[in-house]
Amino acid sequence: MKPYLLRSLTLTRLRRAVCLSAILGSTFAPMLTHAHIIPPEKLHPVAEAYRRANFVLNLNPVKWDQIRSDGLAVANYWRGVDHFAADKLAKEIEAVISKAALAPNEAAGLSPMPRQEAASRVLGLLTKAVVPILRAHLHEAERRIGERAAALDLVHQAQGAYGAFEDVILASDPDAAHRLGQCWLKLAGSMGTPGLLGVGEVQPDRTTFRREAEEILQYLGANYGEDFSIPSGRKLAPWPMKSPTFNAKASLPIKLPPGSNVNKQIPRPRQILNMTARGVDESETALIALGDMAFDSAYIYGEPMRSLGMSCNTCHNKSITNPNLFIPGLSVRPGGMDVSNGYFAPHANNGHFDPLDTPDLRGIRFTAPYGRNGRFASLREFVRNVIVNEFNGPEPDPMLVDGMIAYMNEFDFLTNPALNKDGSLNPNASASARRGEKIFHRPFRQMNGMSCATCHIPSANFLDHRRHDIGSVTGYEASSRDRALDTPTLLSAKYTPPYFHDGSLPTLRAVNEWFDKTYKLALSSGELDDLTAYVETVADGVEAYEHTPYYLDAEMEEFSFFLSAFEFLDEKNKPELMNATFQTVALEIRNHKWELQDPAARPVLDQLVGIMDEAYAASQSGDRASVRKKVEAYRALYQANVERLK
Amino acid sequence: MNSYRQNQRVVLALTLCGLLMGPLLGFAQEQAAGSDRKRPYPEKVPLNAKAEPLRIAFVSYANPQTVVKDSQAVVQYLNPFAGVPIQSFVTLDYGSSIEAMRGGKADLAFVDPLAFMMAHEQIGALPLLLEVYGYGKPAYHSCIWVRRDSGINTLADLRGKTIAFADQIDMSGHLLPREVFVQTGLLSSKRVDGEFFKQVYFAGGDEQAMRSVANRFVEAAGVSQYADQLLRLEERDQVKAIATSIESPSHLVMARKGLDKAVAERVKRALLALEISDSNDKLILSKLYGVQGFAEAKLSDFAEVAKIAARYGFVKKPELFAAREP
Repeated sequence: MKPYLLRSLTLTRLRRAVCLSAILGSTFAPMLTHAHIIPPEKLHPVAEAYRRANFVLNLNPVKWDQIRSDGLAVANYWRGVDHFAADKLAKEIEAVISKAALAPNEAAGLSPMPRQEAASRVLGLLTKAVVPILRAHLHEAERRIGERAAALDLVHQAQGAYGAFEDVILASDPDAAHRLGQCWLKLAGSMGTPGLLGVGEVQPDRTTFRREAEEILQYLGANYGEDFSIPSGRKLAPWPMKSPTFNAKASLPIKLPPGSNVNKQIPRPRQILNMTARGVDESETALIALGDMAFDSAYIYGEPMRSLGMSCNTCHNKSITNPNLFIPGLSVRPGGMDVSNGYFAPHANNGHFDPLDTPDLRGIRFTAPYGRNGRFASLREFVRNVIVNEFNGPEPDPMLVDGMIAYMNEFDFLTNPALNKDGSLNPNASASARRGEKIFHRPFRQMNGMSCATCHIPSANFLDHRRHDIGSVTGYEASSRDRALDTPTLLSAKYTPPYFHDGSLPTLRAVNEWFDKTYKLALSSGELDDLTAYVETVADGVEAYEHTPYYLDAEMEEFSFFLSAFEFLDEKNKPELMNATFQTVALEIRNHKWELQDPAARPVLDQLVGIMDEAYAASQSGDRASVRKKVEAYRALYQANVERLK
Repeated sequence: MNSYRQNQRVVLALTLCGLLMGPLLGFAQEQAAGSDRKRPYPEKVPLNAKAEPLRIAFVSYANPQTVVKDSQAVVQYLNPFAGVPIQSFVTLDYGSSIEAMRGGKADLAFVDPLAFMMAHEQIGALPLLLEVYGYGKPAYHSCIWVRRDSGINTLADLRGKTIAFADQIDMSGHLLPREVFVQTGLLSSKRVDGEFFKQVYFAGGDEQAMRSVANRFVEAAGVSQYADQLLRLEERDQVKAIATSIESPSHLVMARKGLDKAVAERVKRALLALEISDSNDKLILSKLYGVQGFAEAKLSDFAEVAKIAARYGFVKKPELFAAREP
């Protein structure tokens, strides 16, 4: 046998190559960037679609178009193996979705299939599709076992498809997961190797391959075969209920679905804190430090936020809208999601899909009322609602909310040298923008004599602090009064597309065009240009993004800032807030440790995490003296290594 | 190309990108405006269109079509410096590249150290440039990985336990980590199975081996130092390295024996001139498997790993690499 001969590019190899390319692309894209970037989990297309569908099917309401898309993804993959079965799957899923998405019509006697029934049926269809795909790959791998590269690729495809169930099996049937894990290892090993340039050849062992493959298929067939079903009342998941070692009490790991992106934005937006801009010594601003910690903390929330490590900062990176944020089933487009869906806080689910574009928090102390529809008069009420009702947190300590308000009150707009104090343009603005300013102030008959400036009052930070129905919301019926939204500021808005409450308009020009079209303003193209130039000028600002290289030292410095509130919390006897601080610092360091440039310094980070864990444990047991020592130990270790922790 | 080798490249590139390019990208942006180059480009030379073309074999670790595109960008960069026409082509594995070189159809090829040593021994191929990975080093090593909560702290603790390597023919995913046990006297070099370990697996890739440790399917994995980067963030903290191998020179560009020395030298200088901190160079490096740069390669760089490769029968004459330069 002549190993490693030049080989033609077979379809299978090409498929694998494309798959790997996707892996490389998806893996590299975030890794090329920085700042606590979580690389997406690499999943086989079938496992990815299955897991995402599984997540979305557990939501209320279910976003059926996402299910349709993932169902088709599984069917399309299956088509390469068995197109009849794939077509049947696609049709059956579509049939369920059309019944589930049916608009109720009492007169015609039509009512949609109950959500849970429909969701359970779709998951059943998808589950039963995975096993035949996996079986086909393993059988083909055995048939081609002499062609090592092709056979190994097929095994990897099969193992990839197994990824649809693996998390659930690991959690609920660990004994079987262990046994199956070793089966996969033996399978790979049994394929031998052709060697390199005539050296190291190992013949494949077909008997072992078949035995291990059969064991895997037997388990999967028994649990996910034709009679697979999910008992009502149980979370929808591929529970291996037929396995004798299945643990019915097991809970599943909390994870966002494939396709989610909760990474911070790159380039990093520049945060302006008023106190910092004024040169204040941060070491003596304890309440703000507490608020900064809380803003970055998953521990002020309940599950699933805690397990996901998500915080205010996830959606509002240092106060600025995160345009990347996307969670399938909860988001329509990046930069927003439905926060009144039951996923984050089942008790506060409003039952309908109403994703919102994440608002920017710059200058938030000037922008009351709060919430897209201005339903909260004060920031305090709004923050408390976010913690308790949007993200399932416990009732916050008043001091924690004080801290968050203190911190958020420091968020400033970008400076804008084109604006005078009264919000009018100065000569730094372009001629086009100055022409646009006149249009902005022009009363329009079609808008009841109002101008853009009527609501976006230049001298009041381009706000009127009122709510209006401008026609951008679809109400529950034609004459319903549920459409009013809070007037948003235009300041610093250039850097936070998309626009409107639902993020439906991609640019500021699109916003102007929407008004022109909706209100039949009959603006000429030139007028639209000028108006857009004006709005973009108002919405502009100096240095919207950080231009310095990102290093971990800035994060480490911030964690020290969090801890600067310790003495204040100790004095006020606030162990719960201290605990949140210790947990938050530990989690943040854990999350950021892989960004450290010098891995030799990583043990220092592990030590710092260990100290925070110990401080937390000591605080839990009421040993305040130990807690103080741990905080001192953290500070000393950090100071001794500050130059290495970059 | 076997998946495990693709995987290996992914691991190396991941680390490079994750640990270095991130910060460096920002730095590069700052420098792009105008900085003094540390390494000057070589002189451009007029093209001798009638000369024998220089044929470069790129290996595809991922999408061959992407590599074809990438190779064209690299050729475009090298053209003004080579003085001869350049042709590129893509192979699917190292064996194919070596066979192409053996048949006179490739003058330069991108290979791993094991493939190079065999090519040197069999067809006289010479090392031209080593790829530079993390922290500016043209080298990597392997680790013995275990779960942190396993209670395993030393190699001896693995007696009677299970281990997964990436593949039988894999320097970082088998030979280097296996040698760690041989050097400590826990294994003989004759056999790996049924001696010290309860069971040895060849998982089919670095990721499969590492994931088997994270999921507790095996107690240890012997794979690349960068393999933990293939795990999810929350999994990375669950594993630790209890031992490391000697360093191996990194993947490299090797040259056909008899290649015009002047041409080889010009190409070498052109590739050595690439700096990751320069935005234009960074683009070229991204087409060269995303490495950080290149370093000069010597035969003697391979002296130690050749001994290991010899112990397992891949190299017959390790003395060929012992402090001898062409």
